[in-house]
Amino acid sequence: MTSVTAANKTVPKKNKDMNQLSVAANTLWHIVFILGCLCVLIPLWIVIIASLTENTILTTQGYGFWPDKFSTSAYEFMFTGGASILTAYRNTIIATVAGVILCTITVGLYAYPLSRPDFRFTTFFTFFSFFTMVFNAGTVANFMVQTQILHLRNTLFALFLPMSFSAYWVIVMRTFYKSNVPDAVIESARIDGAGEWRTFLQIVTPLAIPGFATVALFAAVGIWNNFFSCLLLNNDRNYYNLQFTLYQMLQQINFLREMASQSGGAAAAATSVSDLPSESFRMAMAVATMGPIILAYPFFQRYFMKGLTIGAVKG
Amino acid sequence: MTTTVSNETKRALKKRKPWGGAGEVKRHLTFLTMLLPGLAYMICFNYLPMPAIVVAFQNYKLSMPPADSFIQNPFIYTVLHNKWVGFGNFQFLLTSNDTAIFLRNTICYNLVFMALGLVTAIAVAVGVNELRQRFMSKLYHTILFLPYFLSWLVVTYLVYALIASKGVFNRMITSMGGTYNVLYNNIKAWPFIFVIANLWRYTGNNSIIYLATITGFDQELYEAASIDGAGKFRQFQHITWPLLVPTVVLLKILDVGRIMNGDFDMFYCLPNGAGLLKNAYLTVDVYVYNALKGTSQLGYPAAAGLFQSLVGFILVLTTNGIVRKFQPDMAMF
Repeated sequence: MTSVTAANKTVPKKNKDMNQLSVAANTLWHIVFILGCLCVLIPLWIVIIASLTENTILTTQGYGFWPDKFSTSAYEFMFTGGASILTAYRNTIIATVAGVILCTITVGLYAYPLSRPDFRFTTFFTFFSFFTMVFNAGTVANFMVQTQILHLRNTLFALFLPMSFSAYWVIVMRTFYKSNVPDAVIESARIDGAGEWRTFLQIVTPLAIPGFATVALFAAVGIWNNFFSCLLLNNDRNYYNLQFTLYQMLQQINFLREMASQSGGAAAAATSVSDLPSESFRMAMAVATMGPIILAYPFFQRYFMKGLTIGAVKG
Repeated sequence: MTTTVSNETKRALKKRKPWGGAGEVKRHLTFLTMLLPGLAYMICFNYLPMPAIVVAFQNYKLSMPPADSFIQNPFIYTVLHNKWVGFGNFQFLLTSNDTAIFLRNTICYNLVFMALGLVTAIAVAVGVNELRQRFMSKLYHTILFLPYFLSWLVVTYLVYALIASKGVFNRMITSMGGTYNVLYNNIKAWPFIFVIANLWRYTGNNSIIYLATITGFDQELYEAASIDGAGKFRQFQHITWPLLVPTVVLLKILDVGRIMNGDFDMFYCLPNGAGLLKNAYLTVDVYVYNALKGTSQLGYPAAAGLFQSLVGFILVLTTNGIVRKFQPDMAMF
């Protein structure tokens, strides 16, 4: 919460007396927002509680707001019994780190010349990236090229390469350079004899950190939460990521559901005891999957408002 | 946002200016080096697949190139030697029963998402901006933004914990004496679940750009209006909304271009592919994926994908063209 207060202080105080919400309207907004926030938090709370509840309670009584019987065995099992989960965790972390580095470098470098008024080919290269935003070759063509030509199938690259660059971030980054790095600063660096690379690395980069942070965070979220390219490209257990592992466990629930609708539940109950991951374990996996990204969120939050002022493509 | 006129003058000025000697050439070489990684990426992942679109007009069957063939890549060889079927794949799509369902679902869901998303996002942005207690408004916004960081898989688990047969809803309803209700397998409930889930995940994120825009507005306008006796609603009607329209138009042009793109992860994961819910979740992306995985005949999903991309592309151009005609300042390009 420290970041919230810090950001709060920088916001200039509005004119207090003149133009404020009436007390009634203010209270109404508070109620609306509190209800909205409860809608966001309650499902999260239920899943966290479920992951800390003894599994038998979940299968007999169902999910609740408070653990009827507290247990951490789901988390213990995750770190002792699940080799495939640790592999998935490792793969996700490697992919996220590699993807974020790749993404910030490529996007940061691509956006910089486009932000310079003395670059002569801005129109062409802006269009080159913008076109990828409005026209996509489609899943099949992408899939064929990624498997047959780029050979991404069953590699760690499949988990981050397809989403390590986006024209949208180029626009965000370019707008950020334009609005936060004054031309005069770059000019003076040039007069002092610094080359373009040196100007970029020593003058521009430090000024553009909020922009980099925004791009990095969104890339990290995109790669951490990426499910589609793992589903599409990887079918080897060693290259699964966390989201795909979650999906597989869900498939097993689905199997149960189909069984239950066909044979009246008895068979399903029998299988659920023997060889399926327990309910609380699944919920613990969901918590473990969202954990790191939620923990990273407050650190980046203060950069958003600065970093996300996107301008039009022209200009 | 500069106007078209100033853009043209800028271009004209550029044309007149001659190259400023070796220094400028060298600087441009450095700039081009900087562009190189991004260019390489886009060529590999965005432009290379574009020629592969021709699969949509072929009877695709992967065949291995003979040893003496000049091209040794099986995919390229196949594409070059496939049987062309013209618009045959598209004709097949037209006769398929699924097509009407996935078109209806994709378009209707997206229209609802766009409309409700706009209303909720602006409401959140205005509310966060107007609340007297700055700390609380920041806190609310932080919480509302949080779901954006959860994947659809995690959301699927949340939905499961809420509405599955052992979920919290059923437990609450039965404990209050209500009747047990299996929402999870009820096809009538799913359109609402999708809409609620979509709003749940995206409202906070959508509101960010509006909030950033609103906080940038000139506060004196509001003070002047309040001196003239305009209440908060009138201020929204006559100041906030008109000033917000360019941002709304810009974002909606992009949204219209995505009207054929479903949120694959949401439609695929949330109902978890349950066969009996198919009519509620089948969108273009789900159809393309299922066809891609289900058959060796890639022509059909490729045709559906090409149709999807073309419609999106044409819609962006048309919407932008219309906007440009009436409000040149608001057009995206």
